[in-house]
Amino acid sequence: MAKEFTELELEAYLDEALAPGEMAAVESELRANPKLGKRLAAINGRRDAGVHTIGEIWRRHRVSCPNREQLGSYLLEALDTQQMDYYRFHIEEVGCRFCNANLHDLRMQQEEKAEITATRRTKYFQSSAGYLRSK
Amino acid sequence: MAATSDTDRIIVDRIRNGDSDAWGDLISRYEGRLLAFVESRIGRRAASEDIVQEAFVGFLNSLPNFDGRRPLESYLFSICAYKLTDHMRREGRRPALPLSAGADSGGEWQLASPARAASSIVRSSEQKDLEEKALIEALREQVDRWKERGDWTKLQCNELLFVRGWANKRVAEALGISEQQVANFKFDFLARTRTLVGRQGLSEDVFPELYDE
Repeated sequence: MAKEFTELELEAYLDEALAPGEMAAVESELRANPKLGKRLAAINGRRDAGVHTIGEIWRRHRVSCPNREQLGSYLLEALDTQQMDYYRFHIEEVGCRFCNANLHDLRMQQEEKAEITATRRTKYFQSSAGYLRSK
Repeated sequence: MAATSDTDRIIVDRIRNGDSDAWGDLISRYEGRLLAFVESRIGRRAASEDIVQEAFVGFLNSLPNFDGRRPLESYLFSICAYKLTDHMRREGRRPALPLSAGADSGGEWQLASPARAASSIVRSSEQKDLEEKALIEALREQVDRWKERGDWTKLQCNELLFVRGWANKRVAEALGISEQQVANFKFDFLARTRTLVGRQGLSEDVFPELYDE
């Protein structure tokens, strides 16, 4: 049976902000069902017209996201129970892609070998520093 | 998430002046989370690193237009999302969308109420920014207040309703509260948002959710 997506889930899809599994589910349905493409086009049309939705602004401006320090405390379980429960909800139930990326990065900082990280950062630097504008 | 931090602002100012150490600092600070964001979607490390690399170059190219008051992390994520989408389209993993909604879905998008063609709402980008800012401030005021007061259920309820787009019944089941409570939380939230946004004297047409009830 085809999965039903809410308008807000489709908005999040357009912003590359749904959880990875849900992004793939939209794409799979999009291939099978041309009507879904029309719904997405209608959302784009509404956005082009400058109509705002609460969900779009909330997500784009990360109104309820914990900051990086709070996510670090969440990893260490150094928050009170209610805060822990809310952050877990935001990360797992809402599936905030940006907070999940931060959380994964914080975990990797403890696990990944420093040498690997340094090599990657050097590669990024060398491939981009030429674009720095000298004053 | 608050506005951009002082550290980020200083780093960006130094990068604008061509400081390569600052550029190295920015890369160290953000590459891990950007890589996690991309890799969670495409699952391949080498391709993910290439996309992050493109995002960093994209950031430097767009730096003259970057508004320093905007949170740097969100800006970098948005560039990364754009590069990721582009990559997936090129690979054929992200289907192309039709340019318009088409005749059988009512043609071009229109406001449901009041009946006015969306294309007739012609506003400057400054006006759109003003509207967006008013809505952000109204949302932040309420979310921050719920967090301070420990009103976690209200926050979760409205996040599921307005960010996930779930129906009242589904939200009630997920949070273990009654549908009436969900309806009350939603009503209070919309009423307060309407009041806060209304103070700015902005057009109701561009906030259909606030005035449709």
